[in-house]
Amino acid sequence: MSELDLDFMRKVASTPRGRGVLSCIQCGRCSSSCPVARLITQHNPRRLMEMVILGLRSEVLPQGLPWYCLSCFTCLDRCPQGGDVGEVMFAIRNLAVKAGNVPAGVVAQARSLMDTGRVVNPVRSILDKRKSLGLVEIAPTGVDDVQKILKRTALDKLIQSR
Amino acid sequence: MKYAFFLGCLIPARELSYETSVREILPALGIEVVDMKGANCCAPFSIQSLDYASWLALAARNLCIAEEMGLNILTLCNDCYESLLMVNNTLKQNPNLKNRVNEILSEVGKEFRGKTEVKHLVDILYEDVGVDKIKNAVKEPLAKLRVATQPGCHLTKPKRLHLGFVKEFGAFDELVMATGAETVGYDRREMCCGGPLRDINDELSRSVARQKLIDIKNADVQGIVTVCPFCFLQFDLGQLEIKRHFKEEYNLPVLHFVELLRMAMGMKLRDWEIKSHRIPITNILKGRS
Amino acid sequence: MTEPAVLVVGGGISGIQASLDLASRGIKVYLVEKSPSIGGRMAQLDKTFPTLDCSICILAPKMIECSHHPNIRLLTYSEVKKISGSAGNFTVKVLRKPRYVDEKKCTGCGICFEHCPVEVPNEFDEKLGMRKAIYMSFPQAVPRVVTVDKENCLECGLCESVCQAEAVDLAQKPEEVNLKVGAIVVAVGFDLFDPSEIPAYGYGRYKNVITALELERLLCASGPTGGHLVRLSDGRIPKKIAFIQCVGSRDIRFGNTYCSSICCKYSAKDAVLVKEHHPDAHVCIFYIDLRAFGRGFQEFINRAKSEFGIKFIRASPGEIIEDPATKNLGIWYEDTVAGRIENLVFDLVVLCPALVPRTDARELAKVFGIEIDKYGFFRASDNITNPVDTTVPGIFACGYCLGPKTGDIPDSIMQGSATAARVAEVLMEG
Repeated sequence: MSELDLDFMRKVASTPRGRGVLSCIQCGRCSSSCPVARLITQHNPRRLMEMVILGLRSEVLPQGLPWYCLSCFTCLDRCPQGGDVGEVMFAIRNLAVKAGNVPAGVVAQARSLMDTGRVVNPVRSILDKRKSLGLVEIAPTGVDDVQKILKRTALDKLIQSR
Repeated sequence: MKYAFFLGCLIPARELSYETSVREILPALGIEVVDMKGANCCAPFSIQSLDYASWLALAARNLCIAEEMGLNILTLCNDCYESLLMVNNTLKQNPNLKNRVNEILSEVGKEFRGKTEVKHLVDILYEDVGVDKIKNAVKEPLAKLRVATQPGCHLTKPKRLHLGFVKEFGAFDELVMATGAETVGYDRREMCCGGPLRDINDELSRSVARQKLIDIKNADVQGIVTVCPFCFLQFDLGQLEIKRHFKEEYNLPVLHFVELLRMAMGMKLRDWEIKSHRIPITNILKGRS
Repeated sequence: MTEPAVLVVGGGISGIQASLDLASRGIKVYLVEKSPSIGGRMAQLDKTFPTLDCSICILAPKMIECSHHPNIRLLTYSEVKKISGSAGNFTVKVLRKPRYVDEKKCTGCGICFEHCPVEVPNEFDEKLGMRKAIYMSFPQAVPRVVTVDKENCLECGLCESVCQAEAVDLAQKPEEVNLKVGAIVVAVGFDLFDPSEIPAYGYGRYKNVITALELERLLCASGPTGGHLVRLSDGRIPKKIAFIQCVGSRDIRFGNTYCSSICCKYSAKDAVLVKEHHPDAHVCIFYIDLRAFGRGFQEFINRAKSEFGIKFIRASPGEIIEDPATKNLGIWYEDTVAGRIENLVFDLVVLCPALVPRTDARELAKVFGIEIDKYGFFRASDNITNPVDTTVPGIFACGYCLGPKTGDIPDSIMQGSATAARVAEVLMEG
């Protein structure tokens, strides 16, 4: 039996991108449009919103639930009430990350970003190939600036702690 | 027309023929691009999932670079497009957020002023160049080539962000048809390719791509035309991954739209470009001559 | 000196009621109607809810009374072009469009349209059936005269040659009439939201996805299929029918954030009618909320479930996919009560679209100088205390052109009577 956090909905709604949860009328248009929901039963955007509304924080934040979304925004486009499910997903993820729940693959991309300024960094062989094909040299990325920004937002600590 | 060129991470690292094709066709169509110096990652969905302020600041830094160049941004990748466009809009519409982001950016000597626009390649080709001009530039129409198009989610959704109907499937399809090819409709065309979960949840990402391939296969086409490099990866390399995991083969060659256009404009693909496709495109090339 | 006459614009049930109430008090009424016949939406319906009365059967007597009443002058196929003056003394310019038929001579016998060689889609049947270039909108039209659609007319003269009453006059000219009235009642009704604005539902692309109004025409004995409910793609009898609620209503994307207030009721009615036509059919209604307030409606829905076996599923479908071979429709939805995502195949899907202001409402509002609300409906001077007064003194409004209220037929009749009372007040001010 999970404990209810009656403040959870308000918390998500006041997190950036999370406001839409206040408009949800649980009509199910999002879930019946979601490509992932058709493949796996664990992922259901309507049910996720329902859990936020009901305050089932412990079933949402620590679980794998927020991490199946493709951010394809089909749900967002079809929602009649401005529920913005696809956006609320990011608010939930931000909160989940703060609670220590983040997949390894996401951390790896963030680490690459911090180290090189890019999420996908060209390996040596690619750089050589580019040169041999006469392609423009990839401009350096301003990684110093990136690191300064990530320090300012404290995201660097999070990445390093994993 | 001149644009600040935002290549993104994926194309220069893994899809070189996309880059070479774009650099060749744009001048021929009267578009000049200037590489953005020191641009960083656009901050795609994985990064956005971590922290809001970081996303805004990272994307805004790129917008500032373009502002300093006095140019609008041209993006190729749908995810880059979505990220930069959303941040540009958000900061333009919300002075509070803009101020907070500028506080962060002051650490790196940048200031967001809201003076640039973010455009996608499809925008430019459809609005600036126009279908008619493209038709005129086509020397070797790809007649009778039946293709399924994958415009990608972030070119057209969320609809309220992508104002007007220029970016509905209609626009991308018109551009493809301008090359002489025939676009064939298929079920669930607006479905995602699964790209955003690549390297995060590969099993799911593969399953989503597989569903797309099943739908496309049912439509009896000779190939798939993509505009987003993630969609390309999901379908091209993805077919090898699906073969390994599901023991299924689809034999659907995948072309970047810019390659299709390039061929139609009479600029042949080089050997290394042809070989860079993991699902061989020889049948499409054969059908041409 | 107050003009002892009233202009009623719009010959639907609401305008008809207002006209009859006023006329019975000895007040002269000019009833102006844009289309060739009065009757409005109610004439298009098969049966009404919750009593399942034949709609035209209860409407026609009122229509006929309008045409015969000594105090009512019907000006059909006419439009209000300009008004000037103020409460008590309005001057109205009405344009009488030429029907190319002399109303006084035409007997409505129908020989002309039997012979006419031109066929065009019939607006009254929501373009599901055809009419001729010379036509009567529907069999019970009032006035019982034909109209020539000059745009599609070949001017072959066949109608003229067979008409026994010599009523055809292809040289007829438009006529401007100036009316002096003391008060005006606007009752122009509504249009339907166009569901093709929701591409995921396939309306306009899939032949077997239709609107509820199109269904009414298919169910109606005077409709394009003679009252036989069949699929538009192949003429077969549908075995599995779905109704989808809130198509465009309660939808922030199109600005219609309101509830249209009659769809839950009429879809239950239509579902029952479908079962009466095809008792073996499987009928499902997909809803978000079931709004069946008022006398008899909840009871009707209970009957629909228990007596007729109609399934109510709490789900707003995400998308509809057509099978190109059978033209059957697969609906993706989540049964929100069971928490299961399903795909069910139907052979006919009926969409219940939002009721929206007419496309010409904005222009009309300008002509009358009345205000419209954020949805485009005519604004009452006060929604609570003066619900049938417009923002211009002396001009009143009734029916759905005022926007969604409870919105059903008794309401429209009540509002018609309400405006008659308000008008009488103006006219009695000497």
